Order: sequence, then structure tokens, then C-alpha cells
Amino acid sequence: MTSLYVGFVVAGTEYALAASDVLELEAFSGATEVPSTLPHVEGIVAVRGKVMPVLDLRTLFGHERVAPTRDTRVLVTRRGARVVALRVDSAREVLKLEPSQFQSAPALAAHEAAAYVSSVCMLGQRLLLILALSRLLGEEDEHHDDEQRRLIPNSSATGPHALPSRGDR
Amino acid sequence: MTVETNLKEFFTAYLVEMGEYLVAANTQLLALEASLRAGGANPRAVRETFRALHTMKGLSAMVGVEPIVGVAHRLEEFLRDYDKRGTKPPLASIDVLLRGVRTIELCIEELGSGSEPHPIPDNLFRDLEAIEPSGQSLEAPPPALSLAPDLVRKLAPFELAQLTQAEQSGQRALRADFCPSPERAAAGLSIATVRERVAKVAEIVKILPLSVPVSPDAPGGLAFALLLVTSESDAAIADAIGVPATTLSALCTPSADAGAALDVPLPAEDRQEPVRDGGAPQRSSLRVDVARLDDVMERLSALIVTRFRMARAVATLEAAGANTAEVTAILGETARQLRDLRAAVVGVRMVPVADLLERVPLLVRGLRRQTNRQVRLELVNGNAELDKSVSERLFPAIVHLVRNAVDHAIETPDERLRRGKPQEGLLRIVCASRSNNRLDVSVEDDGRGIDAEAVARRAGRPAPQSASELLDLLCVAGFSTRQVANTTSGRGMGMEIVKRIVVGELGGELELETAWGAGTKFTLRVPLTLSIVDAFLFECRAQRFVVPVSTVEEIVHVDPDEIVYGPRANDRGPAVGVIARRGRSIPIVMLRELFNWGAAEASPKAIVVKRAGAALAFGVDRMLGQQEVVVRPIEDPLIRLPGVTGATDLGDGKPTLVLDLIAFSEVLSAGRHRAESPS
Repeated sequence: MTSLYVGFVVAGTEYALAASDVLELEAFSGATEVPSTLPHVEGIVAVRGKVMPVLDLRTLFGHERVAPTRDTRVLVTRRGARVVALRVDSAREVLKLEPSQFQSAPALAAHEAAAYVSSVCMLGQRLLLILALSRLLGEEDEHHDDEQRRLIPNSSATGPHALPSRGDR
Repeated sequence: MTVETNLKEFFTAYLVEMGEYLVAANTQLLALEASLRAGGANPRAVRETFRALHTMKGLSAMVGVEPIVGVAHRLEEFLRDYDKRGTKPPLASIDVLLRGVRTIELCIEELGSGSEPHPIPDNLFRDLEAIEPSGQSLEAPPPALSLAPDLVRKLAPFELAQLTQAEQSGQRALRADFCPSPERAAAGLSIATVRERVAKVAEIVKILPLSVPVSPDAPGGLAFALLLVTSESDAAIADAIGVPATTLSALCTPSADAGAALDVPLPAEDRQEPVRDGGAPQRSSLRVDVARLDDVMERLSALIVTRFRMARAVATLEAAGANTAEVTAILGETARQLRDLRAAVVGVRMVPVADLLERVPLLVRGLRRQTNRQVRLELVNGNAELDKSVSERLFPAIVHLVRNAVDHAIETPDERLRRGKPQEGLLRIVCASRSNNRLDVSVEDDGRGIDAEAVARRAGRPAPQSASELLDLLCVAGFSTRQVANTTSGRGMGMEIVKRIVVGELGGELELETAWGAGTKFTLRVPLTLSIVDAFLFECRAQRFVVPVSTVEEIVHVDPDEIVYGPRANDRGPAVGVIARRGRSIPIVMLRELFNWGAAEASPKAIVVKRAGAALAFGVDRMLGQQEVVVRPIEDPLIRLPGVTGATDLGDGKPTLVLDLIAFSEVLSAGRHRAESPS
């Protein structure tokens, strides 16, 4: 069974996400900043009338944020009811990958961003890192949820529970 | 495929319709119960409940929901006897009947969530059979009805009962005759319009057609006798029918002459079927799926955004030296038309506040029994209307407050007597619309009030100095459900949820007034509509923001030199200064500092908001103007923050944040709380 993946580049490394997670690819010219969010939340954008957050994968993967270029793209991804845009340096290809090409990612275990990578794919000489969308969106890690509630960034010492928690349902 | 879709649509319609008849049945049963308790009868309520059950049976048979058919049939049969004989059912039956209706409701809920309905508990039918008929028959026609016997014969027992018992409920039974004629028809008076007009001032018990001798007043030889029950004046009724007030006659007074004078014998050969009694005036209405209205609203929103874009393009042209006078005029006209269209669409989505509260009496009744409290419920609806989606979100908050009031606030009857209060507690819910598109809903009880010190002890915080601080304490997440509700007089079960709904989801305000020993009043202040609001535009570090006009008290000019900064409690968070405003001091925070966006520029403007009566100013770089904006909700947890209610498109294709400064002020005071608390 071959599956479709969307390939893209972040800070010189090739990554891919399952095509079933990606709704569309859009050019990117800047987001509206939302104060007091996590560092990798670049802000919000509207795509076809729908407002969604943009995550800068460069920042999330530990690189410096750069100004958008003509190649910069956002991948509009969907997970359950959430729609989130991911900013990448460039994105062009849709890849057909065979299960035999996948390997688990033990070599990355020590890497700080290892949690985001679910497997590695060999494509001839190319190495593709396959990302797990749920982890990019912070869904398997409760700390993200707590942190995003902090409105005043450096007030964390007294704990997140003192704030009205609008984020949880 | 099509057939299946149709069936599904039909089934959805079935569920909605059943919901309405269930509400009707509950309401009528509660009205019946109230009458029975007061020692009276309420044949109309019996009749209406019977009708609702009958309709539910029919509808359910059509879609093949057998359990409901069974229950509805049995309840209907039970009521049929009383309806036929015009007697009143025993008080004890109301409980069983309500349980029966609840059983149907549960089935509908289960069907709605896609599961099979449970079988009907058999004890329901047993309990129904166990109820002895009360036998207080009203069958013997009551004496004082001044109506010709052949007319009396045309009335059903419950109709007779209704006329004779009008006095008990402080009303009068009247007869008025209307003769159709070409002149009256030309003036817009036909039996149909008369019925509609009369229904507004009186309850129509029956309309009987009569054949009368041809006369100038009755050129057709036809008259209608309207038998009414009303509390309005004769003049109001006569006016609705278009006859002199002197032609009205009372049906239930000892003086029989007036009535007899108007009685007209009805020749046997002219007998007709009575005109179906009018009841409520028939208004033509349409049931529309809310999703379709949302779709209309969505398209309208897109149109408004397009207009913003057009306005920007015109501004660019004008800046380039083009003559845009005509286009600008057209733009202005479009703006007006869009505003009208918006008002029309918003109007379609409005539902009466009364609808919101119609389920409260049943809720209170259930709580009364669970808690053994005696509670009198007073509902003051006014005639306010609010958006359907607001109404739906608001209801759970009201349920929480009502539950808290009966459960925690109102004392047991014994305790109330000891404290010198009437045995029966009072729960009062008042809805009133305010001028600035807001609705106030207050839930008030005369119970024991909230013990602020006990609450503070439980929370491990210093005692609150004001009602708003106490409210903050009550609304802390997870505060009372575990720690307070079962041990002390505290309430607060679900207060966090109430606050999240009112403040978080609806962008409203929550207020508390409480007096120890005397009672508590919660006021929920919510916008009547969501999605499109009038907003102020402002700028902060070259980024534009909007803030709804309805949340702003005033916009003031601030001279930076006038801001006084006191000692800072710690070096965390933004610096809070103080400005003098009309003889009062107002705290001021620079929005830039709040956002951690570096030091503020010399800030000439500040937006003042009020939270729980206390003013707070937010310094911004520049005010840009005021316009209507379409608010799109921000839902993703990564960007859902207190103080950010949504985003809007001002026409540049980029989202602009819609801020709720009142929520920011709350976060700030929470921050101060932390600084003050011993931990």
C-alpha cells in the first residue's frame, strides 16, 4: 500500500507529513501577532475566511525565525476539529511512499526535537523525516496547554492555575 | 439515497416538533398543578395537555417510535376522561403525568443521540392506574350562565366550565355578537380578522354562528356569538370587534335580562357546524434550521468585508488624485443598505427571552422535591429578544444558578421559620434589555447569602473586601465542587462554568450582590447578539486592534506626565499607574507593557473599561476610528487567551484581533491577587 505525503523543507532538512493531514498549501506573507503566546506561535492568518494559528516550524525545531520569502509556504493541516497552519521554508512535492521505505527513528532519540519525528524514510540517497502532526500541535503534551494560558509571559513563577482558564473545555 | 436523506430530514423535524409539544405538555401540566393546588380547576390545561399528547402519539406513530406511542396513548387516555367530563384530575396524578412526559423526553433524547430508546418502566402505567378518579364532576351545568339553553347545548363541558369559572381567576365571561356586512368587510372587519383582534384582548372560548332576521345591521341574516373570557375592559373588547360597548353582555351575572335580550333563537333547519374555536391567532411562520441562518449570516459577513476592501481601494484611488466623489457616495449608500440587511438578518435570529426561561419552572419543581425546600418562582421576562445562539449558550448558566439557589441558598422551611422568614423561599429571575444591546438576567433568592469569610478560609485566601472579589474567588476553577458545597453554606458549584459561559463565551459580565442571611443576587449581562459588533479601532506598536464599543466606558486623552507610578510590588508584570479623572483616580496600564512589547511611546489616548463597577484605563498608541466589524471566533487552544475574543477582517485580508479589555483587567487583578497572597 503506497501512501501520499507532502514533502517540505525547514532549515535545510526535508520533512514530510501524511497528505491526508494537509488541506492545502498557501503562500505566506506574514501573520497577525497574538501577544503572550508560545514562541513558535507566529500569530493568526485567515485562509478562505477561516482564522487559524500559524506555527513557525523553524522556531519549533530550534532555528532562528527569518523573514518570509517567495518560497515560504504554510501547510493548512487538520486534526479533528482543529485547523492549524504550519509555516515552512518551501514546499513543492507530493510523494508516493512505500511501507518498505520507512524506518523507525532511533538515531534521533537524543535530539531535542525527536518527539516530533515519527519515522525516517529513505528515498534513494535522500533522507526524509516523517512528522507526527499531533505532536506538532502539542496534543500529546499537557505542558503546552498550561503554558499557552500565560498571558503575562514572565509571571509563571506563581503557577498557571491562578489565571482564568479559558483554554480548557 | 434521496429517500434516505429525506427521511433523515424528516426525522430531525420530528425531534424538533416533539421537543415543542413536550414543552407545551410540561407547561400545561404545571399550570394545571398550580390551579389544583389553589383549589380551582383548569379545564383548558387538561385540554391542551391532552392535545399535545395526542399530537405526539400521532407523530411518533408516523415515524414508528412505538415506546412513545404507547406512553402518549396511555397518558392521553387518562386525561381523556377528565377532559370529556370536564372534571378535574386529582393532584397526585400530576406527578405521574410529568413522569410520563419525562419518559417521552428521554426517548427523544436517546433518539437524538442516535441510540435506541429504553423500554418504558412498567411502574409508570401501574402508578397511573392506581390513581383514583377524583369524581368532582362539573357535569351539572352551572346555574348562573345567562345563555339560551340551545346555545349551552353546543358547548363542551370544559368550555362551560371555563366560562363559569372565569370569576375565580379574576376574569369575566362575556358574550359579544358580530354581524358580517359588506360595509364592515370594507373596513377590514370579517369574522377572521375579528377573531384575530379579539384573541389579543381575550381568550376565545367558542364562536357560535347564528342565523338572525335580516336587518340593516345584519344584512346577511348571519351573526356570530363570541363567548369570551377576559380581564380587559368592555371598551377594549368592543373596540376589537368594532361594535358599541353597550352590546356586550356578561354571561355570569345574576341579572339575566341583558343576556336574554341578545339571545336569538336558532331555527333548527339553519343549524350549522360551529366555527372551529379560534384559540391563538394564526400567524404564518416557518421553521428554519439554524445552520441555514448561520449560512446567511456568514455570507452577509463576507459582503461586509468586501465593502471594507472596496472602501480601501477607493481611498487609495483618492490618494492618487482620482475624483472619487460619486463612488464615495455609492459606498456610503452600500454601508447603509448593509446595515439594514444586517438588522433584518439579526432580527430573524432573535427569539423571545420567554422561550429561554420556559423550562425553568419544571427545573425548579424537580429541585423542590429533591431538596425538600419550599420555593416560589417568579419569572419576569419582559418582552426582550435575543439571538438564538446566545440564548442556547446562556441557558446552562441559568440552570447552574437556579440549582445553586435552591440547593445551597434557600434554607429548609424549619430554618426559615426560625430566622423569621416566610416558610416559602423566593427565587426571582428577571430579564431586562438595556440600551446598549445588552440583556440583564438576574437570578435572585432570599436565602442565607454567601459567607465570604468561610469561602475565603476554604480557598486559603484573605477575606474578600468586595462582592466582586468574592465573585472572583467563587469562580476559581474547581473551587467549591470538592471543598465547599457539602460542608458550609458556600455555593459556587459550577460558578466557574457560569463565568466561562457569560464572560468567556459570550463576552458579557457577571455581578454578585449578597447579604449574609438575607439573600443573593447574580446578574448576568450579555450581548443580545454575537458576530457583528460596533467597534473602536486602535493601534499599538503599528499593529491594529479592535475593541467592541459596548465594552468601552469612554476614551480619554492622557498626558504621559500626568500618570503617577507608585512603588512596584514586584518586577513581574506590567507597571500599573494612576491617573486622575473627574475627581477619581483610575489605574492605567500600557497595552504594550501588558503584551511585553517594550516600553510605551508617549501615549496620548487611553480606553477606559469598567469591571464590576471599577474603572481601568488601557493606554494605546493611537485611536483610528470606529466601524462595524464581523467577529470570527478564535477556537484553537494555541491562540485562545483571556482578553482575545476573536479576529476580524478589516478589508486587508489579514486578521485583526478583537480584544476584550474587561477580561484583561481581570487577568491583571488576578495577577495582583497573587502578589498579595501570602504564598
